[in-house]
Amino acid sequence: MIGRLKQSLLPEKKSASGSWRTWKWYVSNYAFILPFMILFAIFIFRPIIASLQMSFFRWEIFGPKPFIGFENYEELLTDDLWWVALRNTVYFAFLTSALLTTIPIFIAIALNVPFRGRNIFRTLFFFPYVLSASVVGLVMRWLLGQQFGIVNYLLGAVGVGPIPFIADSDLVIPSLSVITLWWAFGFPMLIYLAGLSNIPQDIYEAARIDGARGWQMIRYITVPLLRPIILFVAVTQLISHFQVFAQPYVITNGGPGQDSVTVIFYMFRAAWTYFRMGFATTMAVFLAIIIMAFTLLQFRFGASRLEY
Amino acid sequence: MQAEAQPPHLTDTNTQISRIALYVLLTLLAIAILFPFYWMVATSLKTNPEAFYYPPDFYPPEPTLEHYHEIMTRGDINVPRWGWNSLVIAVATTAVTLFVTSLAAYGFARLEFPFKNLIFIVVIFTLMIPSQIYMIPNYLLVRDLGWLDSYHAVIWPAAPNVFGLFLLRQFFSTFPRELEEAATVDGASRLRIYWQLMIPVNRNALIALGIFVFLHSWNDLFWPLIVLSRVENRTLPVGLAVLAGAYGAGDSFSEPALIMAASSMSSIPVLIVYVIFQRRITQSFMLTGMGGR
Repeated sequence: MIGRLKQSLLPEKKSASGSWRTWKWYVSNYAFILPFMILFAIFIFRPIIASLQMSFFRWEIFGPKPFIGFENYEELLTDDLWWVALRNTVYFAFLTSALLTTIPIFIAIALNVPFRGRNIFRTLFFFPYVLSASVVGLVMRWLLGQQFGIVNYLLGAVGVGPIPFIADSDLVIPSLSVITLWWAFGFPMLIYLAGLSNIPQDIYEAARIDGARGWQMIRYITVPLLRPIILFVAVTQLISHFQVFAQPYVITNGGPGQDSVTVIFYMFRAAWTYFRMGFATTMAVFLAIIIMAFTLLQFRFGASRLEY
Repeated sequence: MQAEAQPPHLTDTNTQISRIALYVLLTLLAIAILFPFYWMVATSLKTNPEAFYYPPDFYPPEPTLEHYHEIMTRGDINVPRWGWNSLVIAVATTAVTLFVTSLAAYGFARLEFPFKNLIFIVVIFTLMIPSQIYMIPNYLLVRDLGWLDSYHAVIWPAAPNVFGLFLLRQFFSTFPRELEEAATVDGASRLRIYWQLMIPVNRNALIALGIFVFLHSWNDLFWPLIVLSRVENRTLPVGLAVLAGAYGAGDSFSEPALIMAASSMSSIPVLIVYVIFQRRITQSFMLTGMGGR
């Protein structure tokens, strides 16, 4: 029995007749990870290498595909639209992440107060997040139109506007950010709620005895204790919004002009409208480098777990 | 346990006022969140000219289902067909992902083999790399395999879910070894331990991951947009996104009531499923959102 147990769980590396059997055991253990690893190799590992490789070729869907060294990278650095797309992406990512990191904290604090009907609010507030970007985009485009949008009608009723939310160069990125806030705030809200439920109530009780009141408690207890989670949310939001594509694709088609062309939107056009695959992979590589930098930040912050 | 009875931020003398203010604020927020849905459905029940009325009618003067009828009979806005495609793809992706990922997670959590840690580190490292970098080479591969415009093109590339592997491995690692050893003594094979111990014991984590994968697949736009081009093969997000282009006029639409009917038709089933399973769904996002922490 014991021998069998040892064999199954802790194969001894130097057991007398066992080296062949141990080897066979190892090989059969590989079988568990094999399906995953095959798919991983084909659809994740291979394309990463292939993208790096393609970025050094003039790789268009038809015709010869010559090696061109760093030409794609040089072209990218001198391409005005690339810089516009990068600027738009950075602007959108930072603005959206700032909104989605801060505002849900207060909503979560409000929903952490025990009161009747709080679960209804939680359910309601999370709902937009389960919708697809396409539905959100279509509905918001219809709501925010300058001429026929209901939002501008309501603003007109109080003497404001009409505001060309998604048709104005300066407003389009903030508008897409606010749309994204409406769509996605339920997710950070949930994460904050999970964090809040881990803060022991006696801390508040002690502070209350010391004379602390509502806002002071939030400012000096809740926010500092949530800090690791706030940083986690900030970095994960930044990473995901750097990859923005659906909002400009559905709502503005990159417009007005090029004012909401983002990096992934431009990559999509380069690859599937102009079929310049080599050039497009260069953009993907660039974006990957930016995102990896943020991910390293996340690992740094992620290392500090929540302790009280 | 007074803290339970007295909420921390509302222990002042003006508790009542704070409470009312809280309700008012949350209700305003709830209206801001619900209004776009209301407006979507209200517009879908108008005729197209009515949708452009100024001042607008806040409810359809003579509610009509003509656009829903139009969608059911027209070829180019085939919402039911797109919904079916989305469902098949999301279900298959979830099933394949859960199976392949949990099997590998068990391997990495509990079995020994050479280079285990090295392989795991290489796999986890790819979590840092945004998925867009796979898209172009994967598109070319899928095209060469003749998979364009097929379910295969969407399902298989999504199956190796590295984040899911990371998540499940954490759960499988915390399973008490003594129980596993006891099962081994009783003659259970590794496959049986995986299937009859690991899977049932960790079913909450698996369900959470399953919901997460399902919703991702259901809502994904970029990849299906690339690989599914024929009208009848589109998923809902792709079909709707293409409509946005085809019926777009400036910052509005040429046939808003029709577009809103298509949007309503594709989001109402989601709403129903969400209301039924909302506890599970929010739990899933809490768990996966924190990376299983």
